[in-house]
Amino acid sequence: MVHALEEIHRLLRPDGYLIDIHPVLGAPSIEVRRGAELLFAEAGPDYWVEDYRQADHALAQITQRHLFVVERSGEFDFLTYGSSVSELRDFLTEASAYESRPKEEAPVGWDADLTARVEAALQAAGEGAEVVYHERARIARLKPVR
Amino acid sequence: MTVRVEPENNETRALFDLADFSGRHVLEIGCGDGRLTWRYAGRAAHVTAIDPFAEGIARARTSLPEELRGRVEFHHVAFEDFAAASHPAACDIAILSWSLC
Repeated sequence: MVHALEEIHRLLRPDGYLIDIHPVLGAPSIEVRRGAELLFAEAGPDYWVEDYRQADHALAQITQRHLFVVERSGEFDFLTYGSSVSELRDFLTEASAYESRPKEEAPVGWDADLTARVEAALQAAGEGAEVVYHERARIARLKPVR
Repeated sequence: MTVRVEPENNETRALFDLADFSGRHVLEIGCGDGRLTWRYAGRAAHVTAIDPFAEGIARARTSLPEELRGRVEFHHVAFEDFAAASHPAACDIAILSWSLC
């Protein structure tokens, strides 16, 4: 990924900048919500955790090398809602699949116990409740250094 | 009921807080099905959005809003190949959108 960042540096005009958006490591949770009410929350599967760890490392490297400087950064919550566990799980599995990596290799991480606990919480919550994959993401603006 | 992705628009607000797209040429790397592209493309002069995942690019092309035709182009290509074929200093803003290029 460092090479990709070097290429981005080359493609940017001198007054341009890079916006990087990626999840905060270790942060996702599976929740059951009804509107704004949080009814259940547990640590959820972290898709591509090792890849994003490497992305963090690459960004640290290119700033240490003074290829880019972080001008501004922030964090935000990113929520994906489904009406059932299977619907949400299938969507996330599909969304995390890459052409270069067969889908069966996807580190899905939804074990049967977690699925059962979430389904029980969803059923207990009743009508109007949804299952939510809650990620925390970091966004940064990086200016190329010439 | 279908899956709802980020209905709160937190990502869009954070993006607009950090980036001014007015009159800018944007390269989005890892655009997927264009989920994020639609949210800012109307403000940009031109968007080149790329992804190595063919299904995502096909969905993005199919759902390209009429008002963005001519302003947004999607390419099914790996970033390293796109970069190798590109001139230096070609864009104002590059977006790594949840991407692992």
